[in-house]
Amino acid sequence: MAATLQPYLTAVKNTLTAAMCLQNFESQVVERHNKPEVEVRSSKELLLIPVVISRNEKEKVLIESSINSLRISIAVKQADEIEKILCHKFMRFMMMRAENFVVLRRKPVKGYDISFLITNFHTEQMYKHKLVDFIIHFMEEIDKEISDMKISVNSRARICAEEFLKNF
Amino acid sequence: MILLEFHNRIVEETLGQKFKNALEGGKPDAIDITIADFDGVLYHMSNPNDDKSKVMVSISLKFYKDLQEHGADDLIKREYADFLSSPEEGYSVSLLYDLDKVPANHEEVVKKAGLLKRNCFASVFEKYFEFQAKGESGHKRAIIHYRDDETMYVASQKDRVTVIFSTVFKDNDDVIIGKLFMQEFKEGRRKFNQAPQVLFSHREPPQELQNTDAATGDNIGYITFVLFPRHISATAKDNTINLIHTLRDYLHYHIKCSKAYIHSRMRAKTSAFLKVLNRARPEVDAAKKEKKTISGQTFRAK
Amino acid sequence: MAEKHSFGVTPITCHTWNGDRSQVCLSLNNSDVKIYKKNGQSWAETATLVEHGQRVTSIDWAPQTNRIVTCGADRNAYVWSMVEGKWKPSLVLLRINRSATFVQFSPKENKFAVGSGARLISICYFESENNWWVSKHIKKPIRSTVSCLDWHPNNILLAAGSTDFKARVFSAYIKDVEEKPSPTSWGSKMTFGNLMAEFSNGEGGWVHSVAFSASGDKLAWTGHDSSLSVANAASGQTLNVVKGNFLPLFSTTWVTENSLVVVGFDCVPKLFSLDDRGALTFISDLDQPKEKESQKSSARAIFQSRDQKDTTEIFSYELKTQHQNTITQVSVYSGTRSNCSKFSTSGVDGNIVVWDFKSLEGSIGGLRIK
Repeated sequence: MAATLQPYLTAVKNTLTAAMCLQNFESQVVERHNKPEVEVRSSKELLLIPVVISRNEKEKVLIESSINSLRISIAVKQADEIEKILCHKFMRFMMMRAENFVVLRRKPVKGYDISFLITNFHTEQMYKHKLVDFIIHFMEEIDKEISDMKISVNSRARICAEEFLKNF
Repeated sequence: MILLEFHNRIVEETLGQKFKNALEGGKPDAIDITIADFDGVLYHMSNPNDDKSKVMVSISLKFYKDLQEHGADDLIKREYADFLSSPEEGYSVSLLYDLDKVPANHEEVVKKAGLLKRNCFASVFEKYFEFQAKGESGHKRAIIHYRDDETMYVASQKDRVTVIFSTVFKDNDDVIIGKLFMQEFKEGRRKFNQAPQVLFSHREPPQELQNTDAATGDNIGYITFVLFPRHISATAKDNTINLIHTLRDYLHYHIKCSKAYIHSRMRAKTSAFLKVLNRARPEVDAAKKEKKTISGQTFRAK
Repeated sequence: MAEKHSFGVTPITCHTWNGDRSQVCLSLNNSDVKIYKKNGQSWAETATLVEHGQRVTSIDWAPQTNRIVTCGADRNAYVWSMVEGKWKPSLVLLRINRSATFVQFSPKENKFAVGSGARLISICYFESENNWWVSKHIKKPIRSTVSCLDWHPNNILLAAGSTDFKARVFSAYIKDVEEKPSPTSWGSKMTFGNLMAEFSNGEGGWVHSVAFSASGDKLAWTGHDSSLSVANAASGQTLNVVKGNFLPLFSTTWVTENSLVVVGFDCVPKLFSLDDRGALTFISDLDQPKEKESQKSSARAIFQSRDQKDTTEIFSYELKTQHQNTITQVSVYSGTRSNCSKFSTSGVDGNIVVWDFKSLEGSIGGLRIK
């Protein structure tokens, strides 16, 4: 299992680096406006072909790019019910803090757990290679964190049960 | 402190303080406090008729009626005979303590006062334990609506007493965490043979309650204890009652704790993620920024 | 080997030099245009041109007439001329209803062209009776935003790149202001707006820049598909395309009749050449990454970094190249497109870097600019 993680992340990293070539681009449709084309999808020639990178059925990444913005959506591994709620809670928790995260989209794209929206304004203010690193770091850590949380909850449950039953 | 306490610490400490004060010859203070406990139980400590030398401890249980059917009054009378008074309005049971006449065994009295709620509950269990001990069967099962939408069922058979709690999980996530806990209860029993069998069923009531008005639904769970004679023997029964009647709260308490723990972890991780994101921001060259001291002098960082 | 001039951390939208390279005019990703004068090693701000209501997208400084033309996302363009020591703007009637994206003076400086998101090009010229700049539109067959323009040395032809994946050559002959042009290798029919040539390199990507060579026979353009293409009109409009495993290229300029410097998302200028048989090849990166000296950081900086970034390695995240982010523009600094000795680049990281071919040849083994 673990052996497939590195190539998966490498593929995501390279695709992201290529997709994150964004420029400032004023809307062709609305006067004096500047909107992320990947969201408004007003002119199809400004959109690139979306890419899906999957590690397995459940873990995959969708990268949609356009001339001035890029959307990356991540489906996180959820093996059982408890991982599902942990993941769901965690993503919701982060998305409620989307303004701190700047690049986080408030709602995930359908079929995925979390989405980032990166526009040219972000790549102008921040180092592009570091933004890519952030996404990769996020993907690495999120799996680890969820399984760690699951283990802690499980062990708490075990201790609670044992303590209770011991007293009979 | 993983297990919940069976007594009410505030009642115990407050009353203990009063007695101690009275023994030391201090002047009694006025008291009027209301204390909440699990399962919607309220305690009220006050001075009846503004008489500071008397302390009244009242308890209100919404389901006291259910308990009365199963001999709660008798048990209370047995335990608190000397102190029992007619219930204060709006409360189920009232105990009256006279600070001018501090009983010799006051420490024990105080402890008992703290166990008021537990003793109210105990009546049902004791009754059915007794049925079992005598080998009587065919008694109707007791139904205690111990919370607005949660019910406890106690029934005795020839060789066992079953106690079933229905519990409502307000949050869908609680159901899943709850299941996880109950799974561990099942597993844990293998290690501790003396413990009673614990069963958990989700959505549907267990077989014993089939064809009753027991609620069904996605967020309802049933916890069944099968108590064998060794749990309800005269020596073990108090301990069993103590544990069983707090189980529901124990479970929910730890579900909440788990959630709080998850939350704090998420918070920590989120801020760690933010820091990683911050690495992408270019550093504004501090050396180029002019700074002003409070006196208006400018200097440049070197 | 390269002079680096930093203008902060905000992106430089575009930069342009005056005739003798003593001043630079740039916009820092906002609605102001700033002019800096070289003062020893540093730059002193001499003027801020404030007229645009939204982000400035492009600037061009005409070296002989000393006029500056600016255009912006607010759909306007202004021509600034020096009157009594001050820059005075005059509004240009562009007649466009989307943002202007690119502006460039023609070689003779009597016209300029403005590309826009309205899918058209405005060719502007001065109407002396009314004392203002008027424009004529080239619309067909542009199907998306015009992203870049370049004038042919004959002052008539204009190359345009657009986000519809095509590079085109138009005639921008305005009969009111100029003589009838003589035929070129691109054709002889030069009525206003005539499409002289249209190119696509097959697959396509948004065209980010176009450039005529000094002779005007060759047209180079870069696309978002990481390609550089050159069309040679002198040899029957033959097409040469290079694609590589580098990121998309954003801007290009000819440095000799056969060589190009190209910059883009890779943060490194690249040199391409046409060999004797006319094949286009990648020669070298012009910025060889070097290990930077590790800087000593103060205790405060370390703690700050710990707190905000959760790392103690303060400088490790810098790229080892001169530019730290996408390079958006390259232009000839000294010399001409047929014989360039220095070129300048500017980028999203707020730096302008001036590169000297002589020292580049010295530091990069085997590099010869033909």
